[in-house]
Amino acid sequence: MFGEDEIIRSHSSRAHALGNVILIAFAILLSRLWYLQIYKGPDLLEWSLKNRLRKEIVKAPRGMVFSRNGQLIVDNIPRFDAVLTPQYFKNKDNTLKNLSAILNMPVEKIKKRMLKKSTMASYKPIIIKKNISRKEVALIETENSDLHGVSVETFISREYRDKETGAHLLGYISEINKKQLPKYKKRDNKNYQLGDFIGQFGLEEQLDTTLRGQNGHEYVEVDALGRKKKHIKKDNLFAGIENKRSVPGLNVRLTIDRDMQLSGFKALEGKVGGAVAVSLKTGEILAMVSTPSFDPSQFSRGLSTEYWSSLVNNVDNPLRDRTIQEHYSPGSTFKMVTAVALLEEGLIDENTEIKCTGKFKLGRRNYHCWKKYGHGKVKLFKALRESCNIYFQKLSLKLDIDILAKYARMFGFGLKSGIKLPREVSGLFPTKEWKKKRNGIDWQLGETLSCAIGQSFVLASPLQMAMAYSVLGNGGTLYKPTLVKEVFSNSGEIIKRIEPVITKKIIISEKTQRLVKEGLYQVANHPKGTGWWRSIRKGLQLSGKTGTSQVKSASSSENLYEKCENKDYNDRHHGHFIGFGPKSDPQVAVAATIEHGCHGSSAALPIVTAIMSTYMKKYLPNMQKEFEILEKKVFAKEMAKRRKIKQRADEEKEQKKKLKEKTEEILEVI
Amino acid sequence: MNLKIDIVNYLKKYDLSFFGIVIIIFIIGILNLYSATHAANKVVLGAIYKKQLIMFGVAMGVGFLVSFIRPKNYFRFAYVLYGLNIFALILVLIMGNKALGAQRWLVLGPIRFQPSEMMKISVVLALARWYTKNNPHTETGLKELVVPGLIALFPAMLIIVEPDLGTGLIVLLVFLMIAFYRRLKWKTIIIVSIMAALAGGVMFEFGLKNYQKQRILTFLDDTADARGTGYNAIQSKIAIGSGQIFGKGYKKSSQASLNYLPENHTDFVFSIFNEEHGLLGSILLLALYGILFFRFLWLSTSVLRFFDSLLAIGLMSIFFFHTVVNMGMVMGLMPIVGLPLPLMSYGGSSLLTFGVCIGIATGLSNSRNFF
Repeated sequence: MFGEDEIIRSHSSRAHALGNVILIAFAILLSRLWYLQIYKGPDLLEWSLKNRLRKEIVKAPRGMVFSRNGQLIVDNIPRFDAVLTPQYFKNKDNTLKNLSAILNMPVEKIKKRMLKKSTMASYKPIIIKKNISRKEVALIETENSDLHGVSVETFISREYRDKETGAHLLGYISEINKKQLPKYKKRDNKNYQLGDFIGQFGLEEQLDTTLRGQNGHEYVEVDALGRKKKHIKKDNLFAGIENKRSVPGLNVRLTIDRDMQLSGFKALEGKVGGAVAVSLKTGEILAMVSTPSFDPSQFSRGLSTEYWSSLVNNVDNPLRDRTIQEHYSPGSTFKMVTAVALLEEGLIDENTEIKCTGKFKLGRRNYHCWKKYGHGKVKLFKALRESCNIYFQKLSLKLDIDILAKYARMFGFGLKSGIKLPREVSGLFPTKEWKKKRNGIDWQLGETLSCAIGQSFVLASPLQMAMAYSVLGNGGTLYKPTLVKEVFSNSGEIIKRIEPVITKKIIISEKTQRLVKEGLYQVANHPKGTGWWRSIRKGLQLSGKTGTSQVKSASSSENLYEKCENKDYNDRHHGHFIGFGPKSDPQVAVAATIEHGCHGSSAALPIVTAIMSTYMKKYLPNMQKEFEILEKKVFAKEMAKRRKIKQRADEEKEQKKKLKEKTEEILEVI
Repeated sequence: MNLKIDIVNYLKKYDLSFFGIVIIIFIIGILNLYSATHAANKVVLGAIYKKQLIMFGVAMGVGFLVSFIRPKNYFRFAYVLYGLNIFALILVLIMGNKALGAQRWLVLGPIRFQPSEMMKISVVLALARWYTKNNPHTETGLKELVVPGLIALFPAMLIIVEPDLGTGLIVLLVFLMIAFYRRLKWKTIIIVSIMAALAGGVMFEFGLKNYQKQRILTFLDDTADARGTGYNAIQSKIAIGSGQIFGKGYKKSSQASLNYLPENHTDFVFSIFNEEHGLLGSILLLALYGILFFRFLWLSTSVLRFFDSLLAIGLMSIFFFHTVVNMGMVMGLMPIVGLPLPLMSYGGSSLLTFGVCIGIATGLSNSRNFF
């Protein structure tokens, strides 16, 4: 402890200095107090007694959404809420009585609402009734003097012009809930509060930060009853509090064609399924619809419990997007990929012939063709157009599943397409390794046969199916599907333009392309083709493929050939059709899936032709007319031929009959 | 026998001045707290003054016990305490309890505590020991700023990311005051402050990309808005100003009863006090705080060991900055960072910290008689 005294003494000047620091700090505090309490005192006293300052949030209008042709799809419209501010709530019984009469709402219910929010600061308004009518607004404004503390607040509500059409794609906005609050605060580094609206589904969710503007605020002076007086006067005491203007959200032009969207939805209505149309040359989505659907406007207006429970209790789950959030076995539509793989690997050519007797046996299992007694001798074109299972199954014996998987991946199967929408499923295409990992069992040869015709493990969403066929249609480019063409501000300035993005380019030989395309063309344009009857005469020059996927595997050959329409609804097959066209210069690929629709041709094909027709009539009207005449001629010719055959058959029958009669006559004579 | 005489002697010479001032300020504080919350229609807030009374009793009890610890033990365990406290801070960041969107609490069975509160004291102890051990005879320059700077900066950063900007700043300010007391050369002070200002400006202007700058600004702005501080600041100014010279009278605060100030029982107690007691009341209150600070200063010059002297300055600075920053912010002189006013604001953790500070100071004072 030697010498500590001196050390402390040597610091005494600093101790004095610190004493001065304390005094100076107090002097500053006191002079500020003098300024506020003496100089500004009377003014501020008046403020505290008579006037109040209120901060009002000015909500930014959300960006609008347009179709590719500039038609408005999603708009904003004002909505009014009746609110009550506890601070100005006086003459309580009378006010409550008047309010309950105007809003047609029991007093008890109003009190309940207020009680629920009783922990909030009393200057914050409580919403009593949302979305009130204009008449109610007028009544509240005129009876203001009898309604102490009641006022009307304006909100901007989201209006989806085409209601249920494309609801899954557009999504909806609704109030952020307590569970989401911390998550979204972190994600966007933004201070969301309860009552803020955010995109919760589809594009509204995906583009939330683009569409959302920045809220502003405004300070208003209100009188003792909470009525707005005027905008706050400039006063240096309030320097630093400034009104902030709201910044409107950015608008978005989609790649979606509204007409195709509408016709697709109309065709789907009443069924359960989804359809996707994609531009072959850019990967732009032209239409994307799913049914059953919902009305997104209901969400932004404050969902009624009745509507919500009607959605939740619907067994078909209207909130599910069947274009990207659901995957199905693609069934025979997958034969396109198998055909490409077989040709590219040099295992077959167009003349390879297989005999289809309706079934064939591998090990202890029987494999069946959909046609009970078989297709007879089958070559590539016939196999595709008549969708012969045996042809592909027998040939795929030579094909390793991993090789087939390589081709499946080339067409985008088993991989997320990368579309910018939330919650896309990835689908599935198996490999040996995958199976071993999942089940611990080695790959069975029989499973290759099932996968070759798109059954068993293979799963794909309608979007993936459309993308796969677009790869063939455009000659080998897999695009990343896009939904947004450009983002632009209210003044029309283009902020962002989205260019096509290529996921990968694959190489398929010219010959393979030609052969498979021809096979698919015959599906819709050869009288024996599975899609002929429902697509010819529409003038589409469609190429495509039907497909069905079994929901329940058939246990015996008896119910294998049972008529699908006679089964229980939940046991019926899903029907698919994927097509592209026109043949000479393919531009659009469309995929449709109908759950429990039984057949690809009867259930899904009409959806595809509806969407495709809309495209053709809108963008290639001359070509469409020309094709229509052509196809009608083909149809007439075929019909004439069929009539002739029938006639001949009738004549033969007649002759036989005559012959029989003659012999009988002769016999009688004898 | 000797021991008994010793204890009696000790208690006879027990320094009651610190506890005395603190109790007087607290009585004003509890009355004010009652006024600020009595009108609240909320059950939770209504009983707040009772909780505050209990907590104050606990804090004083702990402080009294602490006053019997011999100062040389602070010296001996300074770094250990500092190390343990840092560890607790890191623990909070990893697994702390969330309160109001910030991680501050550590829960050990029935005990919840905020390591950041104790950190203020731990930093003072560690700094005092370092400065005592390193050339206490000479003036200090840039070189002697490095290690103590790190001692303060590291925990300050840990506290700021919790995030608790206010407490983090207090730790840094306490460090600056101790460094100043420890004869930091005037030349160094000028050079360091110019360099800090320049570096800060240049960093912001050129070192950051536009979006980063924007992010910093919105971060600051957003946290401000999160607590509605811009609005609170105005309401606070209205409350203070409307008090004028004599105030509106006890329990007559209109701003409090209307719940204009959502935090009127914590950060904004001083505005309520001003509204009700006016300029005269504030002068009285400031005088009481002044007496407390000068009592600490006097202690720092009258102790026998340099370590004790540094400790006294450090403890004083904790009280001083809490008081000045809190008052400054409710008057609109400073941005609102969220710091309690010592002994006036509601809050058990801060009361406990101040109680411990007072206990240590009393211990230092008593030790002069028994070395």
